[in-house]
Amino acid sequence: MPYINYRDKEIAFKIVYYGPGLSGKTTNLKYIHAVLDKTRKGEMIVLDTEQERTLFFDFFPLELGTIEGYGVRFNMYTVPGQVYYEASRRLILEGADGVVFVADSQVERLDENLESFAMLQSSLTDFGLDWRIFPLVVQYNKRDLPEPLPIGTLETRLGLNGIPVFEAVATEGQGVMETIRMTSRQIIEKFQP
Amino acid sequence: MYEERENPSESNAIMSDLVVRSGALTALVITKEGVLEDEAGDTSYLNTTAMAALVAGMFSATREVARLVGEQQFSILLQQGETRHIHISLIHDSKMMVVIFEDYQIIGMVRHEARKAAAALGTILKQSNRPELSEEIATPQFKEYALNLIDRIFDTK
Repeated sequence: MPYINYRDKEIAFKIVYYGPGLSGKTTNLKYIHAVLDKTRKGEMIVLDTEQERTLFFDFFPLELGTIEGYGVRFNMYTVPGQVYYEASRRLILEGADGVVFVADSQVERLDENLESFAMLQSSLTDFGLDWRIFPLVVQYNKRDLPEPLPIGTLETRLGLNGIPVFEAVATEGQGVMETIRMTSRQIIEKFQP
Repeated sequence: MYEERENPSESNAIMSDLVVRSGALTALVITKEGVLEDEAGDTSYLNTTAMAALVAGMFSATREVARLVGEQQFSILLQQGETRHIHISLIHDSKMMVVIFEDYQIIGMVRHEARKAAAALGTILKQSNRPELSEEIATPQFKEYALNLIDRIFDTK
């Protein structure tokens, strides 16, 4: 549900990058922030630990532009991925209009991916959302690593039929813009079917 | 159903009144999703977008802390700095009113005026369907322009 301010003619959609710890959520957001024209972005807030692990969230506002007289903005968030930050994750996920699930392609991290996705499903369900019709995109990150998780593994294990999937190397920007473009498109398509 | 702000002129007048009466520097109304909804007083020194996101996060976290100690909510948060201080209170359960002030001696006045303003804003606060306005936005043109902009901004070629 986007936030609409009728007086100032503004619409704000919330996009959340979700996934297990160290899968590359912050790297995605930092890359997008770095390549965007400065007129389209606000300051990026990073709330992390000394080890640069996300403690609470990262955030920046992305100005899409003026459409039909309304200023349209995407508020971009990441959640902390580590398992014990579940309470923080739920707080940030609440009110999301779309989610990018950033999976770690390392084979040994399959269980963490599955666990993280299960928590995402559970939270969306608790918020009264049906994740099967919710704007959701899966990104297999770290495709540059040797013998990455075969594409299709998560879809098969999680029953994600028809969900858009992208391969990425977020540290180099590969696949990052494709992922956010699809997520944004899905959000708009849902807003105006 | 969409989030909708309360009557704008009325709410802004209440906040401006709060700033003048209490001697505060700035007053903001922020939704629990972290969006700035209204402002009064001086905001020239402040990144209000970032402030909104951070305050919403802080308030959400505090709510969870409250629950851990058996409270439903801490209705007021007070941050005391060297020269500037922040008083945050809830409007109903969905919005936060942030008052920034400089002279800590006026804390009593800030609390009093903030309580009054929150009650006044609460009475005009409403969440409702506004189909005529929603339909105005959700038009085929809106979708077409939005998708066009998305493709342009996130161009990968």
